Amino acid sequence: MSALNTSTSASGSDPPIDGHQETGPSPKAIVAVIDSLKKQVASDRSIYIKKRMEENTEKVLDVTKNLYKLSMERRNFKIICGDGGVDLLAKRQKDAIDMHSGIGTSNGDNESSSSQEDGYAPSAILLGSSIAVKNAVRPIKLPEVKKLPPYTTWIFLDRNQRMTEDQSVVGRRRIYYDQNGGEALICSDSEEETVDDEEEKKDFVESEDYILRLVHLMQIAETTIKEVGLCDLTLDLLAQCLSRKSCEIKGRYEDLIKNEIALCRVNNGNAESFVNPYIDKDLDAALDSFDNLFCRRCLVFDCRLHGCSQDLVFSAEKQLPWLCPDVEKEPCGPNCHRLDLESEGNATVSSKQTNFDEKAATASNTSAMQIQKRKQGGKSVRIKSKSCQSESASSSEIKPNNDVTSSVKSAYAGKSSGDKRSSKRIAENVLVAKKKRQKKMATSDSDSVAGSGLSLKDLNLRTNSRRENEDISSSQKVKSTSSRKSRRKESLVLDFDKSLQGEADSGASNESESNQPMASSGDTLKKEEFVDENMYKQEVIDNKYWKPFEKALYEKGIQIFGRNSCLIARNLMSGLKSCSEIFIYMHRSEKKILSHDGDGTILADGCLKADGNETAGGGARRRSRFLRRKGRVRRLKYTWKSAGYQSFRKRISERKDQPCRQYSPCGCQSACGKTCPCLVNGTCCEKYCGCPKSCKNRFRGCHCAKSQCRSRQCPCFAADRECDPDVCRNCWISCGDGTLGVPSQRGDNYECRNMKLLLKQQQRVLLGRSDVSGWGAFLKNSVGKHEYLGEYTGELISHREADKRGKIYDRENSSFLFNLNDQFVLDAYRKGDKLKFANHSPDPNCYAKVIMVAGDHRVGIFAKERISAGEELFYDYRYEPDRAPAWAKKPEASGAKREDGAPSNGRAKKHT
Amino acid sequence: MAKIPLGCEPVVGSLTPSKKREYRVTNRLQEGKRPIYAVVFNFIDSRYFNAFATAGGNRVTVYQCLEGGVIAVLQSYIDEDKDESFYTVSWACNIDGTPFLVAGGLNGIIRVIDTGSEKIYKSFVGHGDSINEIRTQPLKPSLVVSASKDESVRLWNIHTGICILIFAGAGGHRNEVLSVDFHPSDIYRIASCGMDNTVKIWSMKEFWTYVEKSFTWTDLPSKFPTKYVQFPVFIASVHTNYVDCNRWIGDFILSKSVDNELVLWEPKMKEQSPGEGTVDILQKYPVPECDIWFIKFSCDFHYKAAAVGNREGKIYVWEVQSSPPVLVARLSHVQSKSPIRLTAMSFDGSTILCCCEDGTIWRWDVVASS
Repeated sequence: MSALNTSTSASGSDPPIDGHQETGPSPKAIVAVIDSLKKQVASDRSIYIKKRMEENTEKVLDVTKNLYKLSMERRNFKIICGDGGVDLLAKRQKDAIDMHSGIGTSNGDNESSSSQEDGYAPSAILLGSSIAVKNAVRPIKLPEVKKLPPYTTWIFLDRNQRMTEDQSVVGRRRIYYDQNGGEALICSDSEEETVDDEEEKKDFVESEDYILRLVHLMQIAETTIKEVGLCDLTLDLLAQCLSRKSCEIKGRYEDLIKNEIALCRVNNGNAESFVNPYIDKDLDAALDSFDNLFCRRCLVFDCRLHGCSQDLVFSAEKQLPWLCPDVEKEPCGPNCHRLDLESEGNATVSSKQTNFDEKAATASNTSAMQIQKRKQGGKSVRIKSKSCQSESASSSEIKPNNDVTSSVKSAYAGKSSGDKRSSKRIAENVLVAKKKRQKKMATSDSDSVAGSGLSLKDLNLRTNSRRENEDISSSQKVKSTSSRKSRRKESLVLDFDKSLQGEADSGASNESESNQPMASSGDTLKKEEFVDENMYKQEVIDNKYWKPFEKALYEKGIQIFGRNSCLIARNLMSGLKSCSEIFIYMHRSEKKILSHDGDGTILADGCLKADGNETAGGGARRRSRFLRRKGRVRRLKYTWKSAGYQSFRKRISERKDQPCRQYSPCGCQSACGKTCPCLVNGTCCEKYCGCPKSCKNRFRGCHCAKSQCRSRQCPCFAADRECDPDVCRNCWISCGDGTLGVPSQRGDNYECRNMKLLLKQQQRVLLGRSDVSGWGAFLKNSVGKHEYLGEYTGELISHREADKRGKIYDRENSSFLFNLNDQFVLDAYRKGDKLKFANHSPDPNCYAKVIMVAGDHRVGIFAKERISAGEELFYDYRYEPDRAPAWAKKPEASGAKREDGAPSNGRAKKHT
Repeated sequence: MAKIPLGCEPVVGSLTPSKKREYRVTNRLQEGKRPIYAVVFNFIDSRYFNAFATAGGNRVTVYQCLEGGVIAVLQSYIDEDKDESFYTVSWACNIDGTPFLVAGGLNGIIRVIDTGSEKIYKSFVGHGDSINEIRTQPLKPSLVVSASKDESVRLWNIHTGICILIFAGAGGHRNEVLSVDFHPSDIYRIASCGMDNTVKIWSMKEFWTYVEKSFTWTDLPSKFPTKYVQFPVFIASVHTNYVDCNRWIGDFILSKSVDNELVLWEPKMKEQSPGEGTVDILQKYPVPECDIWFIKFSCDFHYKAAAVGNREGKIYVWEVQSSPPVLVARLSHVQSKSPIRLTAMSFDGSTILCCCEDGTIWRWDVVASS
C-alpha cells in the first residue's frame, strides 16, 4: 500500500508538539478528527485501486496484443499450409457474405449445386436479411456416445487416511441444489450456524493501525494527559467508528506502541551478527520434525493414517545399542582415531593410557583397592609410556596392539560404569580416597555442565569440597579457591590457569603434601601433572567446539551404535566432528562419569538424574512448545461427541452389536494397571504400547502351527485380528511365493493365511458398468470361499462428521459411508478404492469384516461363496432395517444412482 | 460475511449509464424451445472473428455476424442423444490451425467438432457428470480445460485426445465446478470456481512435462499417465454463495455469485505457503436482478468491457478496467424478459449477443455516434 505509506509519512512529519492545554478535546472534535482520517484513508484507497487498475490495464494490453498477433498468425498459417482440403467453415463464411452482399444470387446456385455434388450441405441461410431464405442448413449428426454412469472424481487410496480438518463439513454451510425440484436447500442446522458465527478474529488492517497511530499523535499534540496515551473516551469513539470493541482497540493500540518502541530499539542497536540457525539449535529442536512427523507405527513421515504430532510412546524395554557384527579393525577414514593414535605424540598416547587404566581401576569399585590399583596402573602405564618414548617411532608395531587393548578396556570400563550407575551408592566410601586431580576433574565437569544451571550439582560440589577439606587439610587454600571458582561457574580457562599455577609451584609444599598419601615419587607425580595439563588443554579446546547440538547428537550415537566412534562419526556426525574427535570426547566423558563415581555417587546420581530430567522432561516440554508455535503441523484430533448417532449407513453388524473400540497405544512404563488407557478403553495392549511384553493386557498372538490360522481355533482369527509376525509365534512371512526360485522354508501348507491385509495380498478388482445399476466392481480371477478379495479404504471421519455427510449423500442417493469402530466411519466418497463401487444386495456373494491389523481397524472384503472370474461383487450393506433409506430397500440399491431429471428441467432457477 | 475493514473497501461502480455507447437490437432468432446456455465468438483465429457458436439442447450451431444486423447460419450439429443438453461451447483449433468447436453438457461427454470438415473429431468420455464450462488456452488453443459437476477440472489435449491433468482431490472443489478460465499470459495458471463458494487458483507448472508429453503421445490416449493435481495454489472465499463465473482480467479475477454484482479482486499469494493468501477486493460492478445462478458474463477481446445479463432479460455493460467502474450501457428491450444465461462480446465490443432461457438469441449493435 504505497499510497498509504506515503501519506503516513506525510502526516507523520508533522511534529508532535506537546501542547499544554488545560482541557482535553471534546468528543465532537475527536469524532471530527476520526472522520477526516477515515476520509483520508478512503481517498488513499481509491487512489491505490486506480493505480493498480492502471498497472493491470497495461499488462492486459500487452497480453491482448500478443494474443491478437497469434490469432493473425493462425490465419496466415492456414493459408500457407492449405493442403488442398476445403475449409468448410471459411467456405460457408464466404458463401454467407456473398449471399448477403447479393453478388452471388446467380453464382450462389452454382456453388450450392457444386457443393451438393461434393456431398456438402447447402450454404448458409441468412436471418434478418431481406433476401429470401433458399435452403435450410442440414444439421450434422453427432453419433451417440454412451455416457458413463455418474460418479464424483475420487482419489485412489491403498490405505485409509484420516480426514484433515479442512475437509470437514461440520459447521460449514452447504447449499444443496436439487435438480429435480429446482430448489436450493441449505444443508446446515441452526446449531452449527452458531459455530460458524463465532468466526475468526478480525485482524487489524494497515489502515486501521494507521488511524490509531495518527490519533495517538494527535493526542500527544492536543492533550495534557500525563501518561502519553489514549484516553478511554477517544478509544470508545474510535471503536465506534471502526465498529470494533473498545477493548480490542485498546489492545491493538498498546501492541502498536510496544512495537514502535521495539522498532526504535532495533534501529538504534543495529549490531547483529549472523548466527547459524542449524548448529545453535539443540537436538530436540532439530528432532522436532522427526518427533512430530514421523509415524512410529507405519515408519513413514507424514503418515496420513495416524497423523502428525502423535503422542510419543517410549517402550519400557530399551533396545540394546546395535553391535556391529564385525568389529572393524580398519581405520574408518583419514580422521579415524586409530590413525590418530598411531601418529600422535607419545605424550597424548600415554595420557590416554593413563586414562584407561584409571578407568579400569575405578571400575573395580572397592575403595581400598582403588588407590593401590591406580598407583600400580599409573606406574605401569608410565613405564610403558617411557618405553614408548625411548623407542619412539620404532615401536609403531606395538602401538596398534596397545590401542586395541585400550579400546577393549575402555569398552569394558564403560560397561562396568554403567553397572555401577545402576547399583548406586556402593562407592560412598570412595569419598575417602580423595585426590586433588579428581577434584579438579569434578570442577571442570561441573563447569562443562554448568550451562544447565543445576543448583543441585553445585550444592553437591560444595559438599564434596568440604569433605575434601576435611580429608586433606593441608591444601585447603587451593581447594577453597577452586571450589569458589566452580561455584562461580567460570569457564574452563580459569581452571586451566589454576592448574598452570599449580604446576608453577609444583615442587611446593601443598602439592606434595596433597600427594603424599599416594606414596609415590615426586617425579612421576610431576609427570602425571603434566599429562593432566595436556588433557586440560584438550578439554578446553574441545569443549569450546562441542556445541550442545553436537553433544546431543553424540548421545544419540552412543544409544544407537554403542561406543563406536567410527560408526558415530560416519552416520551421525559427518561434517561436524571427525572420528578421532569423537573418540577423545567419548573417553573424556567416560572419565568424567568415572570420576563422578569416585567422588561419590550422590553427585553422580544427581547429575544423572538431572540429565535424565533434562532430556526427558525438558524434551517433552520443548516438543509441545514447538507444536504450539508451528502452525504448519496438522493436528488430527477430533472431539468425539457421544450423542447418539444415527447410522443409516453401511454397517457390518456381526454377532456383537457393539462396535469395535479404537485402539491407541498406552504409554505405561510398567505392567499396565487399572489406569492404563488401553484397559480403560477396553482394548488390548498392542506392540505399539509402551508397556513391557509381559503386560497382562497384551494380546498374545497365536501359536497355530498347521491350521494356517484360518479357523476360529486360531485366537487371532477368533478375535477378528490378523496375525502379526511380531507377535504370533509361528506366523511368519516367507520370501515371495516361490516364483523367484527361493524354496519356501517350511512348505506352503503351513504358511499363515491370516495376514492378507497386512501383506496386501488382494485380488484384482475391475471397475465396470454394473449389470444392476451404475458402476459395479468385478472380480478378475475366480476365488474360493472365504478368500480375501481386497480392502475397502476411505477417509476416516468421526461419527459426527459422518452424520452431516450422510445427510448430503442421502440427498444424492449415493453413500459410501462405512462404520468402522466407535470412533471412526470410513467415507470412500472422494477417496477410496474400486471396492467402493460394489453394489448392495440382500443376497450377496461377499461379506465385509472389520479386522484389527497391527493396531488399526480395517475393512476386508471376503468371498462368501465361490466366485468365478468376471462376476460382479455384491455385499450386504446391512442397513439397520428401520434406518435404511428407501432406495436401499430395493434389491439393486447401491452406490451411485440418481434418476436424471427430465432434460427439459435443465437448469432451473436457484432461489436464494 | 465478515465486515470489510476500513481501508480495504472496494470501489463500487455507479449504475447511472455513462451513455458512452448506445446499443440497439438488430436481430433476434429463436433456435428452439430449449434454453440456450452458451454463445461465444471466435477469438482464436482472426479469420473467424465474426463467427460465433451457440450451445443449447442437443444442438451446437455456428453463425456468422454480417453487416446490417444479419446473422447467417453456417453449420448446425445435433447430438443423436436427444437427452443431451449442451451447457457450454468453446472455440479451439488443432495444431495445424483447423478451427474446432469443443462442447459439453449434461452427459459429461466432451465433443470436439472439426468445423473445417464438419465432422466430429473426437469425443472425450471421462467426466463423471455433466460439464459446466469449457475454455480454451489462448496461447495453445489445442489445450482445453473443462469444469464438471463431478467436482473436477480436467485439462485435455484435443489434438491427441488425452486427458492430461485432473484438478481434484484433497484440495479440490467440494461441489460442482461451474466455471474455469486460463490465465491470459501465465500458461500454467487456471482459476476455477463452483458451488462450494470458492475460487481456486491452480498451477500446472510442476506438471508441465505431462502437457508437453501429451503432444507427442502416440499410444492409446487411455494409456497416458494422467496426473491428479490435488492442491490449488490459492483458495479464495470471495463469495458466500455459488460462484458461477470467473475470468482473469490480467492478474486480477472478475467473478460473480448470486449477489447482483460482479467482483474484481486481486489474489495475493504467499509464495512460501501455497494455498494461503489474502484477497483484495478492488472493485464491484452492480448488476440488478442477477440473483440466480448459471448466469455468466463475457468480455471483449481486449477485456475493456464486460457484459452480463440478468434474470429479467437486461444486459449491463461495464467498463472493466476503469476506476471507478463505468457503466457503458444498460440494454433492455420490451420483449426480452427471459433470463440471459450468457453474453458474447465481439472482438471490439461493437456487437453483443445474448442467449436466453427461452431459446432466443439477441443481437445488439452499437449505434454509430453521429
